Amino acid sequence: MDRRKFLRHLGILTGAGTVSMTLGDIPIKAFAHPLISANTVNGKVLVLVQLSGGNDGLNTVIPFQDSNYHNARPSIRISENDALRLSNTLGLHPSLNSFKELYDEGELAVVQNVGYPNPDRSHFRSTDIWLSASDSNDYVEDGWVGRFLAKAFPEPETFNTNHPMAIQIGASQSMLLQCTCQGQMGISFEDPNQFYQLINGSTADNDPPPNTIAGEQLRYIKQIAAQSIQYAQIIKDAADNVQNKVQYPNSSLGRQLAIVAELIAGGLETPVYLTSVGGFDTHSSQLNSHANLLQNLANSVSAFIQDLKLLGVADRVVVMTFSEFGRRVEQNGSAGTDHGTAAPLFVIGNNVKGGIVGKNPDLQNLDNNGDIVYEFDFRQVYATLLQDQLGMSADKMEDVLFKNFETLPLIAVKHAASGGPVSFSLYQNYPNPFNPATRIDYTLKIPQFIKLVVYDPTGAEVLTLDQGWKEAGSYSATFGDGRYPSGIYYCRLISGSYKQTIKMILLK
Amino acid sequence: MKSGYNLNKITDWDEKAVVHILSRTVFGYTQQDIDFALSISLDEFVDNHLLASAPEPDPPFWVYDSSSDNSTERTRELTYWWYNQMIRQGYSFREKMVLFWHNHFVSEVDKVALPQRMYWQNKLFRGYVFGNMREMTKKVTIDPAMLIYLDGNKNRQGAPNENYARELMELFTMGIGNYTETDIQEVARALTGWRVDGVTSYFDEERFDDGEKTILGETGNFGYEDVVDIIFRQQATAKFLCRELYREFIYITPDENFVNQLADLLRQNDYELKPVLSALLKSTYFHSEEIRGAKIKNPVEFIIQVMRQFNVTTPDFNYMRQVAEQLEQKLFDPPNVSGWDGDKRWINTTTFPARNIFTDSVVEGEKPNGSELTFQINLVNYARTFPDSESAEALVDDVAKIFIQFPLSEKRRNYLLDTLLDGAEVYDWSTFDPQAENRLRLFFKVLMRLSEYQLS
Repeated sequence: MDRRKFLRHLGILTGAGTVSMTLGDIPIKAFAHPLISANTVNGKVLVLVQLSGGNDGLNTVIPFQDSNYHNARPSIRISENDALRLSNTLGLHPSLNSFKELYDEGELAVVQNVGYPNPDRSHFRSTDIWLSASDSNDYVEDGWVGRFLAKAFPEPETFNTNHPMAIQIGASQSMLLQCTCQGQMGISFEDPNQFYQLINGSTADNDPPPNTIAGEQLRYIKQIAAQSIQYAQIIKDAADNVQNKVQYPNSSLGRQLAIVAELIAGGLETPVYLTSVGGFDTHSSQLNSHANLLQNLANSVSAFIQDLKLLGVADRVVVMTFSEFGRRVEQNGSAGTDHGTAAPLFVIGNNVKGGIVGKNPDLQNLDNNGDIVYEFDFRQVYATLLQDQLGMSADKMEDVLFKNFETLPLIAVKHAASGGPVSFSLYQNYPNPFNPATRIDYTLKIPQFIKLVVYDPTGAEVLTLDQGWKEAGSYSATFGDGRYPSGIYYCRLISGSYKQTIKMILLK
Repeated sequence: MKSGYNLNKITDWDEKAVVHILSRTVFGYTQQDIDFALSISLDEFVDNHLLASAPEPDPPFWVYDSSSDNSTERTRELTYWWYNQMIRQGYSFREKMVLFWHNHFVSEVDKVALPQRMYWQNKLFRGYVFGNMREMTKKVTIDPAMLIYLDGNKNRQGAPNENYARELMELFTMGIGNYTETDIQEVARALTGWRVDGVTSYFDEERFDDGEKTILGETGNFGYEDVVDIIFRQQATAKFLCRELYREFIYITPDENFVNQLADLLRQNDYELKPVLSALLKSTYFHSEEIRGAKIKNPVEFIIQVMRQFNVTTPDFNYMRQVAEQLEQKLFDPPNVSGWDGDKRWINTTTFPARNIFTDSVVEGEKPNGSELTFQINLVNYARTFPDSESAEALVDDVAKIFIQFPLSEKRRNYLLDTLLDGAEVYDWSTFDPQAENRLRLFFKVLMRLSEYQLS
């Protein structure tokens, strides 16, 4: 399939919407808001894996005891013996053995029969429906993630606007990260270094503009150029901070997820990532091709999960797979399957409540086209992840998903706002108030990459006290040497998108 | 800015003046365009070319019907159709002015519902493009798209709708502060009775408020033409309109002294725009050094001028539309009734890199996703259209003249030269060198990534 027609966005786009929309005047501060709330701890991340083309759900999670299944697919069915058994009636495709391991560890949930009313079988249209979270007959121009970030992000005050709010690993920007209210909420790039280089190419420009009205215009443009470059630097820095600790499959998806793992563990505070893999439009001879697609998916995602564990950030991350539709129950004349409707999807992570949500597909009662009738609306899954993983409050759901949807029991350890794990502690400095110096103690419960930074009340960075990969243990740092003016300072400990802030007072 | 009377005509019709006038009036130009303008006089060029009336382009075939079929596709087709006018406009100021009017008398296709109606509104703008602003405003007032967009079609006796009345005075003619809320109510009454049927409007006498109205101090049983006549008798109106022209074609912050000079001229000419534009484009003020390169290109201008600069006559309209939307300018769909804010608002951390990626893609001949554009530019052949293409320094200067209006500093110019040479010595440069194409590719990418390239 070819998505040119719906290609809305191109290449590298930068912009945390909140910043770019408030660009009335220059200069723009590093932080959009002063640091006011201390002891904020969040940092949950959602990683989306888009399977483009329409993944064949029935051959992914197989109802091997259902004779309707075997009858409908005489030459492409997966036998009971081959399926990796999840229950007495249900098994995973044999290529998904690494998903089976995650399932056995209770870290993988299968949500059955996910779809929506009046399903559309066009790749483009159905993809738009999934990305926009619209009803089938509604045409919405922006994405559910974009709307969430613009309208319902739980901690807009403390989000470090030096970091992009969402990242898509890939060349063209998805409508997913767009909000019509604020524009692009995310950025997209294929590789942090490449991104850095591309942006970098247009920077060598410290030529001061002339002191004319045209020169004033030029000065503004140069500042914006510099800002877009700032993300490239922060992304590159995050990627350079840590190294992947496992070997990923040498595939596009494997490489994408390897980048995401480095960015999360390397200190980027970005809460949403989108990765994608194509080729699921299996109209013919699908047995081998589908097996390869699933193997790549499972091995890439499980490497990612394993990597996150070794990098000490697995508690923060949930992965969701999705595809624009499942495929026709009955195989077609060329040993493949045509476009269908509802299908299972996977939700994976340390804090996921593993298991099977929903019933086996009802192959007796298909719709007029011979397709599966949905059991769960895809927006129920979104609602669950937004609330339980990303901490969106329930009263914002209509802003993001247009209506209210019942959530599903998918997340075991819910968003930190309701009591999530804290892997470090930053203690109040002593003495406080202080002059000229004060001591700041912190402890790390697990090895992690941290940054300890002092800011002034405008959010400008005063000094980085410490930065790097640290083993578990207790640490201390000193701030103040007589050079700083009296006033309030904030010290923040950052680990990934977790952060904790204390307020310090220098009184001379 | 200089004070005193600035509408005096410039005395030097030189390359600098040509470049400036072209950069503000057409969507991109070439060396051939400069040569042509210099081959005739300033008066000839402005009055017989830029401001000349030109035949109207044929519309898409579907503009006559009032079916709502394929509206999304038709809006796109209409967008491509307009892009095509911009690209093929020759030496005419018309299409930039039509865009000005679109951003002045705003309607949004979403509410207007039929792209057909947007076409007819666009045609109305084109017909009056340098014409009489008062008569144009009358036509706009009963234009089907506008009647729907600002609810004029719902405005009737006993149930007035003030939407259009308010915007007519606030955004289209006088500006806020020059009328009262009562004036708005009275204008709304005078505008009652107009309805829309398909792509045409008609007057429904039964819905007209047939009583006396008092508008801006005048009393009578006024209708829509009277309303516009009254508004155009106000001093504020000519100033407001000239301020808008100033912001679009000179600089974003109006100079009231010069605006007043333009407004006087507009009133002296009974709101005929052509003599005002003619004087403006020839004026010492317009050609003053400070104005050069002081305007941030809007996205459509940005995208179209790239095509014109490279002589691309069959561009990739679909891609251009996608990019324009990315750059936040979707024709026929301004963000709200006040139109696009323009200027600095065009450039943000999202759109600036996107502009760079777009110009890169034109040079590379492929979109960022790797798929090919519908056209490819042969950079070596293009470079050879410049007379001194075998001299690296001359080539840099000549190309910069077409692409960059902002006065380039010596440092920038040397940076461009270094980029083109890519380590080679200046005497080694030749378009016949096997590396020439690669060097030109990098050179044009870097050139169009300059912040200066955003300015016109």
